[in-house]
Amino acid sequence: MDYRLRLAKRMLFNKKGSLIGAVLAVTIGILVIHVNFVIFQGLFDAIVRDITNYRNGDILVTDENDYIDKSDLALVNWFERIPYVQGAAPRLSASAEINMTKNGKLIEETRVPVVGVDPFQDVKTSTVHETVAEGRYVLNRNSIVLGTNVARDLGNAQVGDSIKVLIVDRWGEDQIRRFTVSGIVKSPGGQGLDYSVVMHIDTLRDMMSRQGESSSFMVKLNDPSKALEVKEFFLAAFPNDDFIAETIEESAEEQLAGFRSGIAMISMIGYFGMMSSAFAIVTIQMMLVNGKTKEIGVMRAIGAKRKDILVIFIFQGMIIGSIGAGVGTAAGLGYTFYAKETKMTFNNSLPLEVTYNWEKIYQTALMSFALAIIASLYPSYRATKLLPVEAIRTG
Amino acid sequence: MTKIYGSDENRVKALDDASFTIEKGKFVLIVGSSGSGKSTLLNMIGLLDRPTKGKVFIDGIDTSKLGDNKLSSFRNRKLGFIFQFSNLLSDLTVLENVLLPRQIGGTNGSAEKDARELIKAVGLESQMNKRANKISGGQSQRAAIARGLINHPTIVLADEPTGNLDSVTSEMIVQLMKSMAKKLNQTFIVVTHEPKYFGNVDKIITIEDGRIFEEEQPSELEVIA
Repeated sequence: MDYRLRLAKRMLFNKKGSLIGAVLAVTIGILVIHVNFVIFQGLFDAIVRDITNYRNGDILVTDENDYIDKSDLALVNWFERIPYVQGAAPRLSASAEINMTKNGKLIEETRVPVVGVDPFQDVKTSTVHETVAEGRYVLNRNSIVLGTNVARDLGNAQVGDSIKVLIVDRWGEDQIRRFTVSGIVKSPGGQGLDYSVVMHIDTLRDMMSRQGESSSFMVKLNDPSKALEVKEFFLAAFPNDDFIAETIEESAEEQLAGFRSGIAMISMIGYFGMMSSAFAIVTIQMMLVNGKTKEIGVMRAIGAKRKDILVIFIFQGMIIGSIGAGVGTAAGLGYTFYAKETKMTFNNSLPLEVTYNWEKIYQTALMSFALAIIASLYPSYRATKLLPVEAIRTG
Repeated sequence: MTKIYGSDENRVKALDDASFTIEKGKFVLIVGSSGSGKSTLLNMIGLLDRPTKGKVFIDGIDTSKLGDNKLSSFRNRKLGFIFQFSNLLSDLTVLENVLLPRQIGGTNGSAEKDARELIKAVGLESQMNKRANKISGGQSQRAAIARGLINHPTIVLADEPTGNLDSVTSEMIVQLMKSMAKKLNQTFIVVTHEPKYFGNVDKIITIEDGRIFEEEQPSELEVIA
């Protein structure tokens, strides 16, 4: 082993307090980044997951003319021939006035979003049916599923209650129908259809006078990484239609843009934390240099060049960096594992989407290692500037 | 050599036109009272400091022409140091301390064998693998002597090598240095204010107020007891 490395190691390991302090500084820097990533990237991914599962699918097909007039069967069959596709389902959206008489009192809600679904196709494409907290999902054409917030606003509507729905059709006429509440949906984190009502798509088409039309098609893939490929394939297959096909990144861009900049800012804070750990290393190493002044003088006297002294203290930075990066990464992975295994939630509601982003893990470890070396440059430089005579006398 | 510290009214002339020659294999004492300039003189000879005026020649080489890196290499190859407090590196073992100058010089060939032999010669065989801060003052000084000799230097410089030791240990260290000097035909320059321990030496240089005013052969010198 190179004598400089041996000396660096011994000097460091014989000052356990300094070593622990410096390693801890690097560890905490890395851990902050991992915790930030688990919580905030997990939250972002959870929101993307829920938008995908409840509303947009991996690919969202709409039409430049607001409504798709191609038959459900034709489009569903076309998509389901592709091996990557798990399911495709039409959706129709509208806005309604709802009222219900409870205990002799009429309660009215206006501008309630209505989502029309094909119950058979929707369960293959979306997970809204899994959010049914009471009762069952859309059963038939006369049943309706209320979002938990709508049910609350209607004076705690319950399964079996009868409600009246008013929708203005395409000709401007009011269409009123009575429905029986078959279920109430409540999604963790509230990203689902908690503020909407869900009914059979054919009932909604009738009420809107839009037979055979849909607002959108949700397409769910077995392998979301193929979204772009499937989208391009779809658009190429229907060149004469006015379809718009968007991947989740494109369709949810507006909703996610704010989150993206928030995450970038939080990552910045994490990296600033890492920078402050570099200052801790500088301080600790300066203390080590001051504590070894005499030894540095002796080494210079017996022939060590300035370069040799520089290398010894840079080796120390490398040792601190590698141990800190190792411990910090292990601690970060431990936290990520814990978050994943315990299905950690944000604000006690939304389950975080915890992933191991190996590229980021390597990048963080490498960056902290590099920062430890950079942080050791100044103390190392100061060590080389010591004059042998002065160092031996004053050390 | 002349060495001046400070400037203007704070000027201190630590060495004043000091000049002398030492032949190879001689055992030389530099004596003088505290503050007389003997350590300054040793630092100049040891190339740890540069004179304000004058030059140091070692093995016929003008050391004033050497840059920092070459000076370090020169110190490593041509000079051995023994300090008052031994100044072994506390993080290393005795063996590693003795090996250090050889490793710094990058000539590792028979380094460990040579180091072990030297440690044996100074009577520290049983302490070889102990950490430097776990041995006594006398043992540290023996290890320092071995470290000073490992590179077969032209000169071994010792600065008050007995200054921190009791009289019995001091005599043992002096005897060790003298026997090693004789055995290896090694030049020793020793700064001391306790010449009584050294008995007969080849040369004594007396320094007072930075001036060398006495340079005598020990046979003619009455060693102050």
